[in-house]
Amino acid sequence: MKAFKGLDKISLAGGLAALLFLAVVPTLLPGKYLIGVLTVAAIYGIWSVSWDFMSGLTGRENFGHSLFIGVGAYTAGFLNVQFGVGPWWSLPASMLVAMFFGLILGFPTLRLRGPYFALAMLSAAVIMQRLMLIFWEFTGGEEGIQDIKPLIKNQLHYYWFVLSLLGLTTLLLAWMARSRWGLILRAIRGDEATCLAAGLPITTYKIVSLIISAGFAGLGGALYAHYQLQVSPQLFAVVTSITIITMVYVGGMGTIFGPVGGALLLTLMTEGLRDFGEWRLMIYSLMLIFILFFLPNGIVAPTWNKLRNWRSREPS
Amino acid sequence: MSRALLEIQHLDKHFGGLHVLKDINISVAQGEIVGILGPNGAGKTTLFNLITGFIPADEGHVSFRGHSLRKMKSNAIVGLGVARTFQLCRPFVGLTVLENVLVGSLGPRVKSDDLGQRAMDLLDQVGLLAKAHTPSELLSYGDLRRLEIARALATDPELLLLDEPFAGLGSSEIEALSTLIRQLHKEQKLTILLIEHRLREFMQLVSRVVAIDFGEVIAEGSPVDIVNNPRVIEAYIGKQNPLSPSHDA
Repeated sequence: MKAFKGLDKISLAGGLAALLFLAVVPTLLPGKYLIGVLTVAAIYGIWSVSWDFMSGLTGRENFGHSLFIGVGAYTAGFLNVQFGVGPWWSLPASMLVAMFFGLILGFPTLRLRGPYFALAMLSAAVIMQRLMLIFWEFTGGEEGIQDIKPLIKNQLHYYWFVLSLLGLTTLLLAWMARSRWGLILRAIRGDEATCLAAGLPITTYKIVSLIISAGFAGLGGALYAHYQLQVSPQLFAVVTSITIITMVYVGGMGTIFGPVGGALLLTLMTEGLRDFGEWRLMIYSLMLIFILFFLPNGIVAPTWNKLRNWRSREPS
Repeated sequence: MSRALLEIQHLDKHFGGLHVLKDINISVAQGEIVGILGPNGAGKTTLFNLITGFIPADEGHVSFRGHSLRKMKSNAIVGLGVARTFQLCRPFVGLTVLENVLVGSLGPRVKSDDLGQRAMDLLDQVGLLAKAHTPSELLSYGDLRRLEIARALATDPELLLLDEPFAGLGSSEIEALSTLIRQLHKEQKLTILLIEHRLREFMQLVSRVVAIDFGEVIAEGSPVDIVNNPRVIEAYIGKQNPLSPSHDA
C-alpha cells in the first residue's frame, strides 16, 4: 500500500495548464507593463511557496523571510557589480548564501518554543537592514547596488524564465510536501512533543526545512535583483515578509500551490487598484480583511480543491 | 525473574523548591506489566517524563537494556525501543488517523518496505481500521486512546509506557482496551509500564505494582500485597479493596 500521497495527476495537469495560461497571456495582451507585473508576481510566487514550505507546513511562522530574499539579492549584486562575476552565477550563489544564513539562524532560533522563532527572525531581518546602512561603503547604503546586469535582456523571455523557475520550485516543494518529509513537517505543526515520542529529531527537520526555504527565497532575491537591475535595503523590510505571509494566507497555508495563486492574485489586485489613487490601500486592506475573515483557509487552494472534487465526482 | 529491561536507580527530581521524586529505585524485567500507583501529584507522570527523556533528572540513573538514558534525547530513546502515550491524548491535528500512525513509523527503528500496510495492520489491531482516513480531530475520546497506542506501537517498541490509558473512558471501552493491552503483552511480548487510577482494572492487568506517594516509593509487590499494604491504604486506596468484586472504582 502506498504510504505517501505523491503528486496527483489532476493537480499536476491543473498546475501545468495555469503555467501555460500565464505564459501565453503576455502574447495575447502585449505590453511591457503587464510583463513587468507578471514577472514580479512570479517572483513573489517563489517567495510565497518557499515561505509556505517551512512555515506553512510546520506552523512556525517566519517573520524574517525578507532576510533571505535580501541576502540573495545582495549576493547577486555584489557578485555581478563588485566582483564582475557573470550574472548566471548569481542564481546558485544566492541560493547557497541564503541557505548558509538559514543554517546559522535556524540552528539557535528553531530550538526556541512559542513565538520566539518568529520574533528572532523578525529581529534578524531588521538587523540586516540596519547593517546594510551602517556599512554603506560596501553596500551602497540607502542607494544599494546599482547597474546589475540582466540575466536575459528580452523582457518576455526573462518572464518565461522566471515562470519556469516558479513552476519547478512549486513542483519540487509540492512533491516534498507530499512525501515522508512533508508528513513529518505537518506532524510538527500538529504536536512537537508527540513527534519526539514518535522518535523524530524535529529540530533537525525544522532546520533543514528552513535552509531549503531560505535557498528558494534567495533564488527569488537574485531573480528580483536581475529584474530591477538594482538592490536596496528596502528588500529586507518587514513589510516584504508581511506581504508574503498575506499572500500565503490568501492562497491557502500549507498547500504549497495555493500561495502561488495568492501571490498572483494580490500582485494583480495591487496593480488593478492603481486607478483608485489614495483609496487604493483602503480598498486593498478591506478586501484582505474580507478574505481572511470569511475564508480563513484562503481562497485559491480551497477553490481548487472544490473544483477537483467536483470533477472527480462527475460520472465518466 | 529474568534480567532487568529497565533499571531506575536513585532517581531524583526537583521543580524549583518542590522535591517531586526522591531516590526512586525501580527495576522492570522483560515481559512484565508493572503498574505505577499513587494519588494525583505523586510524581508518576514526572517519572515517565524522566524515563523517556522529556525532562532531565537532577540525580540518578535510568538504563534500558544496559544503555544509560541519562543524557539521551527523547527521540533517541524511542530509537532504543521505549515508547510512550500521554495522559491527555495528543494526536497530530490536521492529519488523518492513518497518517498519525505513519508518523510513528518514520522513526529510527522501523525497517519496513511497506509502511502504509504496516500502519493499516496496526490500525486493524487496535480496532481503528474503518476510521483510517478520518481526520484525527474527529475521533471520540476512546478512539483517540486507541490511536495513541497505535502510534506508540508504530515505533516498534519493546517497552511501552501507558499514562492513564483508561482516563475518560466508559466501562465497555475500558474492557476493550484492557483486552488489547493483554493481547499486546501476550502476543507481542511487550513489556508494559502502566499508570492508572481505575484500580480494579489496573490491578487485574498488572503483575507487579510500585506505589508512590509524595515522590517516594512507599510499597512494591504483587497487587494483593499492595492492596493490603497499610501505607498504600492510608495514602491512596482507602479501606475498600479494589480486588473485591463489589468494588466500583
